[in-house]
Amino acid sequence: MMDVQLKTVTGELDASLVGCVDDLLQRSDICRDDNIEFWALAFSDNALIGCMALANDAIRCTAIDSAYQSRNLLAPLLAEVRYAAIERGRPQLFCYTKPQFRGTFAGLGFWPIAEVPGLVTLLEDDPRGVERYSDGLVSTTKPGTPVGAVVINANPFTLGHEYLIREAARVCAVVHVFVVGEENASFSYADRYAMVSAGVAAMPERDQIVVQAGSRYVVSRHTFPQYFLKDAADITRAYTGIDLQLFRDRIAPPLGVRHRFVGTEPTSKITAQYNKEMAYWLQDAISEAPAIEVHEIHRIGAGDAPVVSASTVRSLLAECRLKEAKQLLPPTTYDYLVFNMHIAQDPVQYAGPERRSGADPS
Amino acid sequence: MQILRDSAAGTLESGDAMVRVSPSDDLEVNVSSSVEVQYGTQVRAVIADTLRQLGVVSGWITVVDKGALDCTLRARVQAAVSRSCDQPLDWKLVVEASR
Repeated sequence: MMDVQLKTVTGELDASLVGCVDDLLQRSDICRDDNIEFWALAFSDNALIGCMALANDAIRCTAIDSAYQSRNLLAPLLAEVRYAAIERGRPQLFCYTKPQFRGTFAGLGFWPIAEVPGLVTLLEDDPRGVERYSDGLVSTTKPGTPVGAVVINANPFTLGHEYLIREAARVCAVVHVFVVGEENASFSYADRYAMVSAGVAAMPERDQIVVQAGSRYVVSRHTFPQYFLKDAADITRAYTGIDLQLFRDRIAPPLGVRHRFVGTEPTSKITAQYNKEMAYWLQDAISEAPAIEVHEIHRIGAGDAPVVSASTVRSLLAECRLKEAKQLLPPTTYDYLVFNMHIAQDPVQYAGPERRSGADPS
Repeated sequence: MQILRDSAAGTLESGDAMVRVSPSDDLEVNVSSSVEVQYGTQVRAVIADTLRQLGVVSGWITVVDKGALDCTLRARVQAAVSRSCDQPLDWKLVVEASR
């Protein structure tokens, strides 16, 4: 019987471990994710033979040395990661893996919920998790058709988002606005949700609009694992495939959504590919769920900016150019930033959403 | 006993089971078992019986069974529930129920 020692690491790996973890991951064609909070490592004779990691509510960076793959090393690693997740208040886990390992994880209590063939499978550890979420959405429906949807990060909520939602409301009787729930943005989810709610409440179309609470089934591009995908095109293909399958199969049907509205960024290659993928997964891909028509809405400009984007607003805020930022924001967002987040005109008091002390007044 | 917070017990090794419990208004038990075909019904019955003995009437319970014996299953369910409410097991209940 082989002697296996388990070791767990919270946070960053120390220098002596980084090398062997990277080596093991590379032999499985994957790279180390950079937002890992917890590692479970398996050693035999002081050599690393298996690893698994936790980031947010997802299992990532799983690799087993090819010589030990029949030894059921995943079981002890998964148990360690499971206990670490529970300690952190995350009872439910996702698992991203290559499609060929779907069966292995199925034996450990994971059910596949979306898959992009050849690239990635998303599994969850609850046989009814996504179904329960779908069922819960039914209570948020509003009478009227057609029904449309918008998915935004709102980091922060800008005039661009407002325009997108109002355009959707012009075509659709009911519009569901999904705010990405993951905490990986400059503004917290609670702040982003509050800004969207305030912005929508001020719109003439507010009675047609439902602001949906963030959900772990609305996947954020920022936290999508990129580590086992070779190039940017594959990453976009994998991310969009998972996100859009969940949207079409699980989120849209209970709400009756048949239209999705997206902003276009004519200069961004990634966005162009994303929108192409969107047309495929929402319309052409084979699915039991009805097809969803994709509407590309051209971005508007405001103030001195040719297009309003949240990233422009964030840079302006970071540089204390609140006046210029104001031109790109609905009054509700401006008020929220000033009164609730105490973002001030005076750079001495405030130096951007991430830096609150040691501001340089110059 | 009332499930007050998320907790777990057990492992995923062969012959064991991993039990997770979370607070919920309803009682929902999900079981996946490597011996589903032969013993699925029995595994579910043991879990339901153990929960009943512990007086658990609500909660979200997930069991990944890797062919655990009945006594192991009972022990893992008892441990997960007891950890979830910071209460030591009432051994009198357990002993009486197994008589």
